[in-house]
Amino acid sequence: MLFSIGDYLAGVLIGVATTLAVRALVWPGMDMVIGMLIGMAAGTVVHLLLGFILAPLVGMFETMVPASLIGMYGGMLFGMRDSMAAGSLTLTSAATVGAIFGAIVVLGVKVYNRILQGAVFEANN
Amino acid sequence: MHTHTQDTDTERKWDAASRTLDIVSFAEDRRIGPHKRRLFAKMRGATLMVAAGTGNDFKFFPPNLHIVSIDISPKMLERAARKAAVYSGAIELRKMDVCNLEFPDSTFDTVATAFTFCSVPKPVIGLRELRRVLKPDGQLIMIEHVRSAIGPLGIFMDFMTPLTSRIGPSLNRDTVGNVQKAGFRLRRVENVYLDVVKIIEAVKGDAA
Repeated sequence: MLFSIGDYLAGVLIGVATTLAVRALVWPGMDMVIGMLIGMAAGTVVHLLLGFILAPLVGMFETMVPASLIGMYGGMLFGMRDSMAAGSLTLTSAATVGAIFGAIVVLGVKVYNRILQGAVFEANN
Repeated sequence: MHTHTQDTDTERKWDAASRTLDIVSFAEDRRIGPHKRRLFAKMRGATLMVAAGTGNDFKFFPPNLHIVSIDISPKMLERAARKAAVYSGAIELRKMDVCNLEFPDSTFDTVATAFTFCSVPKPVIGLRELRRVLKPDGQLIMIEHVRSAIGPLGIFMDFMTPLTSRIGPSLNRDTVGNVQKAGFRLRRVENVYLDVVKIIEAVKGDAA
């Protein structure tokens, strides 16, 4: 239970940190493709740094997998949004969206984990 | 025929990692631990545990067994010795490279590994050595992390491996495939966490 709460808190933290990093690097009017690439790079750096800190607390795999998705793909999405100034104009609203995105990715990974868990091959003899 | 060359780069890397391994794996130990205990319950007869590490896995062993555990890193073995001392059976620690095992053919009934073949530089050679030292009816039981077949995750693992392999494991190993390449016959494969952490059970099978 504690680990599960930790997973969500880690996802929220990485989502917010990625949001803030992207907001600092991507400005309205920037070419969208460049914005997405910068967002992905920023998200990757953020999730790696936070991942090293969080892994001993919630587990290496349980941190790495959602964090990589939040950092890389969240970073791209946030970069696209910020280059177009499309929604979440304040830092607070952007951070809230980042937190929600992080929590949803963690939930998605947990659901997919439930689906994949179990035997995938068993020999007959 | 075995050439006893020493993989000093790998030894140095894991000597360095021994200082932080217990901290880094604190939570993982608790989350994956029950799966390790379930797997290691299948240990029987003469048993070889590959990569003792700091001995974190010893607490998941069934009681009162005699287990030989090897590691390439002397620093890891120093730390493992303290945990081996409190095990209810006997754990014999030896410094050895899995690619150059000093045991005769057909020595062990069980060979066990836990997050080992992400770190062996030549995994198929190491697995062939394990196959050599297994008795004909012996079993290989492993819990390993492997490359994910989930598109974006697998690509991420490919990108990160050049970085992670400098200080620790490779993230994109195909250990199930490597077990088969080494000549083992798969008995069971189970997903423990997504398709990243797997339990792999195999038997010696036909000649490679």
